[in-house]
Amino acid sequence: MKGYASLVKPYIVWMSLFIVVPMLLIVLYAFTTSGNELISFRFTLDNFFRFFDPVFIKVLIKSLEVALITTILCIIIGYPIAYIIANASEKSQTLLILLITLPMWINMLVRTYAWISILSDGGLLNSLLEFIGLPPMKLMYTDFAVMLGMVYNFLPFMIISIYTVLAKLDKALIHASHDLGANPLQTFLRVVLPLSLPGVISGITLVFLPAVSTFVIPKFLGGGQYMLIGNLIENQFITVGEWNFGSAISLIMAFIIMASMMMTRKMDRDASENTGNEGGKLW
Amino acid sequence: MKKLSMLILVLVFILTGCNSNEKTLKVFNWGVYIDETLIEEFEEEYGVRVVYDTFDSNESMYTKLMSGEVYDVLVPSDYMVQRLIDENLLQPLDKSVVNMANVMPHVMNQSFDPNNQYSAPYFWGNVGIIYDTTQVDEADLTGWDVLLNTKFKGNVYFYDSERDAFMVALKALGYSANSKDDAELQAAFDWLTQLNSTMDPIYVTDDVIDNMIAGNKALAIVYSGDAAYILDENEDMGYFVPEQGTNVWVDSFVIPANAENPEMANAWIEFMLSEDAQTRNTLEVGYTTVHQGVWEAMIAEDGDYAGNTAYEVRLGNPNDEIFMYDEVLKVKMADLWLKVKAQ
Amino acid sequence: MVGAKSHKVLIFALMAGILAFFYMPIISLMVFSFNDSRSLTSWSGFSLQWYEALFKNREMMMAITTTLSIALMSTFVATILGTLAAIGVSKSKRLVKELVLSVNNFPILNPEIVTAIGLMLLYSSLNIQKGYLTMLLAHIIFSTPYVILSVLPKLRRLDPDIAEAALDLGATPLEALWKVIVPMILPGIISGALIAFTMSFDDFVISYFVSGNGVKNISILVYTMSKRINPTINALSTILVVIITAVLLIVNLYPMLNKKKELKEAE
Repeated sequence: MKGYASLVKPYIVWMSLFIVVPMLLIVLYAFTTSGNELISFRFTLDNFFRFFDPVFIKVLIKSLEVALITTILCIIIGYPIAYIIANASEKSQTLLILLITLPMWINMLVRTYAWISILSDGGLLNSLLEFIGLPPMKLMYTDFAVMLGMVYNFLPFMIISIYTVLAKLDKALIHASHDLGANPLQTFLRVVLPLSLPGVISGITLVFLPAVSTFVIPKFLGGGQYMLIGNLIENQFITVGEWNFGSAISLIMAFIIMASMMMTRKMDRDASENTGNEGGKLW
Repeated sequence: MKKLSMLILVLVFILTGCNSNEKTLKVFNWGVYIDETLIEEFEEEYGVRVVYDTFDSNESMYTKLMSGEVYDVLVPSDYMVQRLIDENLLQPLDKSVVNMANVMPHVMNQSFDPNNQYSAPYFWGNVGIIYDTTQVDEADLTGWDVLLNTKFKGNVYFYDSERDAFMVALKALGYSANSKDDAELQAAFDWLTQLNSTMDPIYVTDDVIDNMIAGNKALAIVYSGDAAYILDENEDMGYFVPEQGTNVWVDSFVIPANAENPEMANAWIEFMLSEDAQTRNTLEVGYTTVHQGVWEAMIAEDGDYAGNTAYEVRLGNPNDEIFMYDEVLKVKMADLWLKVKAQ
Repeated sequence: MVGAKSHKVLIFALMAGILAFFYMPIISLMVFSFNDSRSLTSWSGFSLQWYEALFKNREMMMAITTTLSIALMSTFVATILGTLAAIGVSKSKRLVKELVLSVNNFPILNPEIVTAIGLMLLYSSLNIQKGYLTMLLAHIIFSTPYVILSVLPKLRRLDPDIAEAALDLGATPLEALWKVIVPMILPGIISGALIAFTMSFDDFVISYFVSGNGVKNISILVYTMSKRINPTINALSTILVVIITAVLLIVNLYPMLNKKKELKEAE
């Protein structure tokens, strides 16, 4: 039996080289300066100080805002949908879940690209507006376009997360609540909602994290001026070539995300403690 | 199970072995900048496999090089050629193979590479404003500051390129596009910031082309080649180059010092300078050719670009400048441009 | 019961709305792939020209084969690596287990762009030229943690005595592994493999940062081609959608068909 434990050794070597070392390199580049040669470098906090410029802080705040709004929208839209599906007949549930997850399987870039033509002047949405009699609107390259793209990409994750927990909900609890005299609204607020919280939190982690760091959606739908922190990092690494500054920005972003993850983990633990439910994990 | 793993091992061998057997030529060019049928023709004629990669800005091309990528042929713009020469990253062209006799004389022997030791021109042009004639009067076209005319608020595309952005601002203010003066750069930064806040521009790159063909906005800053293409596709469009001056640019073929196949690289460049290749490329891409004979054919009365004001690049305006490279300037500009956009 | 009826109408409208939202871009994409002109907004007539262009486009065909081959190979390697690692972890001391799982979580918890630049810095420092192999390696690196997380729960529920019994009955550790343990955790391995395949097939951010030498997968291709109107992308996307739909339908209908078969045989 003990022999099997040594099976993990190759993976430990693998991880050290391919997971740990890259992380360390990012830290190294963030705290040094000199260009992209490893040979000559000196330690400095300059890269971090450079970030604390009102313009860049604004980019960070905007990214957090956009991610937060996206997450909230996904919850507002996603929860009712998940609830409806969870309460549908079993056959309908399979079908509906299939329909909701199918777009997820399609390449994210393709899905975002599809919106470009729909939102453009003369595109589907504007044609619809004209059809109703409303004036055409500039939809591409706006906040609206980016938010739309974000919600479109991340909503399925939220729906599935919440649905997974709602579907496992013990119906007996709901019946018991009714028997004890609660009306549907009270049952929902006091029984269903708290029990479904782990699913919501799981959904938040699946949406917020990628939403903060995404750069494709703002690039496709927002135009060059729509600069989120992901765009900033990509710009530094691919266009400008300042890997040190880029690494520092990545560390700052990773740090903020890790902090918010820990907060949501704590919320998850509190929620589980209160309801005795295991976290709404996806697998 | 065993048979499956055998199959996959064989597959892996085939895929990894494939690359090292054939001779390859690695070309790094701008996106949508060639008639692709030429690539296959070259492969057949010379018996090589061409690995054709694209970039969308001089800066990202340079960064890719610095990250360790090795190519045989690059197509940088003037100031980038200068930078590569300064940093000893290029090798001289083999003049016994590369014949530049047909290249227009005023494109040759530029300050970034006198005597064309390292570079052979490919396309050239300038930067200007494409405008919707149904929305913009001739009277509005006073100069680069038409871009600040609030009549066109929300109706402007600005090119997302730091050098071109600052060129426009500096020229609008009457300064040199190659200015290193901090005060002038600050003034240019303020000009751009003002444009950003009062005009609500959309920063685009190649997507400006299809957007202007569709007539989605009134004004856009474009390269003359893109303008030539747009003028061809949309009759309502016009091309304007301010008297204040603009940037005249040349994109050239160069061979990196660490190229693995310089012999084939020279052959490629010579191939691309031929009359046939130049003709097909200029017809496909829309950018202005450097080949004297092809140029005359294009702008002749029955030529494909007859009367195309963007194709016929303006010559003789003393305010038109070619970009020079400066290391300090580059860093400053990159930083400032980021700040303009992020506001 | 008027209330209940309006309730149902509302629910129906909501679901229909959401499904319309999800599918409108996909359908628009597919419709315009058959457009006679080079427009994504105005329809000129039916044509297969973009599908023709797709199959003639060398770059696009190469991107497809690259995406597929990398997905298949990285899934294969990640599944084996991850399964073995998971088995090893489940039998390790608590400290080792916690350490390994914490580090294993990095690629999952980190934003993709951070993983991507980490790998880019790694390749650059080791002076490895970016290309097909670096992309393949990167895909294995980010897929394996998901395989481990898929397999581990199944291992936890495994009866520890069964493998011991097999050894007592004379099986070698390898035989016990292959013939006893693996079949019992197979569902976890399969779902892990599926996740690995999907993640590799769809990947953009990491591939974008670690590829070079002209090697592109479908995502990178769409990214670079998206700035100009190019209905060949629509053609490619339509084919992808059709294949994915077909696969999902088969996967979901297969158990139902099997059940019907069993019911028939039982009669």
